[in-house]
Amino acid sequence: MGKSLKGNIGTLLGCALILIWCLLPVVWIISLSFKSQQAVTNGSPGFFPSSGGGAGWSNYSDVLQDEQFRRAIINSIGISLIATALSVIIATLAAYAIARLEFKGKKFVLTTALVIAMFPVVSLVGPLFDMWRTFGIYDTWLGLIIPYMSFTLPLAIWTLSAFFREIPWEMEQAAQVDGATSWQAFRKVIVPLAAPGVFTAAILTFFFAWNDFVFGISLTSTERARPIPAALSFFVGADPFNRPASLLAAGAVVATVPIVVLVLFFQRKIVAGLTAGAVKG
Amino acid sequence: MSVLAACGGDSGKPKLNWYINPDGQDTLTSVAKRCSTDDYDIQIQLLPSSATDQRTQLARRLAAEDSSTDLMSLDPVFIPEFANAKWLAPFTGDLAAKVLDDDVLKGPSEIVQWEDQVVAAPQWSNTQVLWYRKSLAEAAGLDMNKPVTWNQVIDAAADHDGTVGVQANKYEAYVVWINSLIQGAGGDILDPATVEDGRDAKVTIDSAAGEDAAKVIEKLAKSKAKQPDFTTSNEGTSLGLMFPDKGAGEFMTNWTFVYKNYEGLIGKPGGPKDKAQFEDLGWARYPETVEGKESKPPLGGIAIGVGAFSKHRDFAQQAAACVTDPEAQAALAVSDGLMPSRQSVYDSEELKKAYPPDLLTLFSQSIDSAGARPKSAFYSQISSALQSRWHSPNSVNAGTPKKSADFLNQILEGKALL
Amino acid sequence: MSTTYVQTAVDPADEADRPDSDRSRAENSLARKLVAPALVLMLLVTAFPMLRALYLSLFNYSLTDPDAREFVGLANYATALSDSLFWRDTFNTVGIMIITVAVELVIGFAFAMVMHKVIFARGVIRTSILIPYGVITVVSGFAWQFAFSNTNGFVNSWLPFTPDDFNWFGQYWSSMLAIMASEIWKTTPFMSLLLLAGLAQVSEDMLEAAKVDGATWWQRLYKVILPNMRAAIMVAVLFRALDAYRIFDNIFVMTAGANNTESISFLTYRQVIEQFQLGIGSALSVLLFLSVLVVAFVIVKLFRVNLADARQES
Repeated sequence: MGKSLKGNIGTLLGCALILIWCLLPVVWIISLSFKSQQAVTNGSPGFFPSSGGGAGWSNYSDVLQDEQFRRAIINSIGISLIATALSVIIATLAAYAIARLEFKGKKFVLTTALVIAMFPVVSLVGPLFDMWRTFGIYDTWLGLIIPYMSFTLPLAIWTLSAFFREIPWEMEQAAQVDGATSWQAFRKVIVPLAAPGVFTAAILTFFFAWNDFVFGISLTSTERARPIPAALSFFVGADPFNRPASLLAAGAVVATVPIVVLVLFFQRKIVAGLTAGAVKG
Repeated sequence: MSVLAACGGDSGKPKLNWYINPDGQDTLTSVAKRCSTDDYDIQIQLLPSSATDQRTQLARRLAAEDSSTDLMSLDPVFIPEFANAKWLAPFTGDLAAKVLDDDVLKGPSEIVQWEDQVVAAPQWSNTQVLWYRKSLAEAAGLDMNKPVTWNQVIDAAADHDGTVGVQANKYEAYVVWINSLIQGAGGDILDPATVEDGRDAKVTIDSAAGEDAAKVIEKLAKSKAKQPDFTTSNEGTSLGLMFPDKGAGEFMTNWTFVYKNYEGLIGKPGGPKDKAQFEDLGWARYPETVEGKESKPPLGGIAIGVGAFSKHRDFAQQAAACVTDPEAQAALAVSDGLMPSRQSVYDSEELKKAYPPDLLTLFSQSIDSAGARPKSAFYSQISSALQSRWHSPNSVNAGTPKKSADFLNQILEGKALL
Repeated sequence: MSTTYVQTAVDPADEADRPDSDRSRAENSLARKLVAPALVLMLLVTAFPMLRALYLSLFNYSLTDPDAREFVGLANYATALSDSLFWRDTFNTVGIMIITVAVELVIGFAFAMVMHKVIFARGVIRTSILIPYGVITVVSGFAWQFAFSNTNGFVNSWLPFTPDDFNWFGQYWSSMLAIMASEIWKTTPFMSLLLLAGLAQVSEDMLEAAKVDGATWWQRLYKVILPNMRAAIMVAVLFRALDAYRIFDNIFVMTAGANNTESISFLTYRQVIEQFQLGIGSALSVLLFLSVLVVAFVIVKLFRVNLADARQES
């Protein structure tokens, strides 16, 4: 009994540690976003805003009024969503083939996906920049959507093929025997079973696109296509000599909100998707 | 144009994009409005704040032959590189005569010419002077009406509880300081006769002048007058030490914006306590590297270039002439402390109201006799190479000029990585 | 496409090599059509540019001086490989990789053990563990940069033995520590999730049996849990190590390479994007790609990772 109590206390402590580990920097950046710009310029050490050094919501309103930042949000949302949708559709086709069909070259497809997942993206920025300016898609949405699709495909293919292996496909035939048309059988039986997997792949793909920085800074140069991470790193405040720490923090919080919302709603699915591709299920 | 790119065309009137650096945004916005005509609208686009980032953003667009890059605010050191790559549309005929006439001061007018063509229109000019506390200079017994040397300034600050403010972080302004020190000693980083030959330029930093410059940096690095963040100092860090809570203030070499900056901070944190303390702010010509040799103040500023691939080249060049006219230059000087590149603007009533007359004279003389950084198409590599061998300033010694000369030669030959 | 009639034990993956039946032929062509778009996209953005980089790396070619492009053979590679900067940055990168992955493995494993045991509040724990994974790397970089800052941060005041005005970004070691802190914070949760999935594979019966035999907690860990989790651990290490080897984002925002804190990715980026030296930059791109292959190969051979696990070929 005493042993299990000790174990329980240890587990509790462990939980507390995990929570502190994960949330402290997030709380810190939120706290920093409430420090006033004046206080930050003059130096305001400490975790919380010093008395009189608070800014209320003014950093947030400044950031949201900043034309460059607003356009970066629109770019990021648009590019990430389009890349996610296309990537998931293409990955679904490939994953279906990998999970259900036997064909020559399956190994090659899987190996390619594995290599791409490990590819050092920085080694592509030179040639891609050179190619994109030749095609005239430098600094456009399309110029970012294409690489995002390519680099999220491996993750999406893995996640989806792991899910598709688990689906009892024979139910489709069973439904057809019961008199449903093949389209009905597909829609009523297979779609609901496959949906969670597709959904998980979509979330993970979205995370990747939202997080990308290398392509974001090297294949864009104006607000026309610059995504949030790149916009944050070039952020210009009122003081030309110092990084506007608290403004940046406010921008960072705004950029993190969509991710936190996704995590809050779909944490179970994300965990399943993350671990599906890694270990034999 | 990609189908996905958002199109913002609401009328048939062409929009000229003007990429500006973040100095004087509000003034430039109103200048852009004033210079828009029935034929075109000028639209402001903001560049990042660091010079390095500004250059990469612009150069990438130009390398991509972007047709929507119409006007650009260019730092003088980008101009040779951009002009050499044929990214700037040269001004010709009447327009060339308009943007570059006898009224333009000597420093800025040399900067905007490349291979006998006018490739940009001078808008505002920047230079550094020595800002100091009169009380501190007095305590040290320095006669500020005569030229002072770096040695005198460092000693005066060290012996009287003051500091010396410079820009010695690993970035462009550190090269500005090194270059001015070397030119002040009568030398050059690259031989001026061959500097425009790009990779074939002769490296002349390993000279007596180079050693004189190294001596000054070494002296400050070992002096009590060094500020705590010496190795990461920039234009902003030393501002707060002019009117500190403790100590006698500082001698600081810094750009022209300093006057307006302190004037706006009277009674606020980081600024002078009151009007009387503001009156204690003095200014003098950039210090001499070697006693008796006239100093060479740094030269900065902005010139307006027109993109070679612009859809509306003629309109853009007319617009460039308008946004650099005397009226625009006066507005930038009065509201943002960005000094004119034309002598006639210094003599205007507006400026005389906004600045003490002796300060105006000091600015225009400094700009007229300023020393430019090497006018090379490979300037950015040259600058990075210098930064890598002269930083940290704490490690500068008599061997530094030779070390940096060897490295510069390797870089120009493409035999080393930066 | 050789067909051998020698009878060998047929591996299910080679099933397609059997003499064609109509069905398998139809299956083959359908499957090819289905994977084609994905394959084309993946190769279009990687293989094709890599070949272009290989070609460009043979020239002395600067974007700002396009007329002066000249063929120099392998000189760019010689320049890069004989340059001390290249090796110093490689050392940095490998150092970051080894240290961060080792720390993440230990902490991640501890987190996984806790999560494995937890019965209550699973949702809360899972949500918070996913937040660092989801946070943009650039934001993580900023958060830690400001945390370590001596003017606006809190680390100096919380740590007992650092003076309050200690400048973390003033010298090499402390800058590297700050960079690694941001890397470790962001990716440990991901590691712990992979290990958690591995923990679930360990059979409770074996653990019970070991307990009955009087094995201590440490013995159970070493003799039962770790051997049974080997595959999961190795896959996690491989993925994280290669990820860490490509470190770029946090270095870019935190130090921009000051105090020699450059990684090999950052060096390549600077040559190509900041200096427009497409020739030498492409040579570095090729070297970066090759070095990732080497790192992957070393890890696979060293730990005898079974890649089939990663590719999930059951």
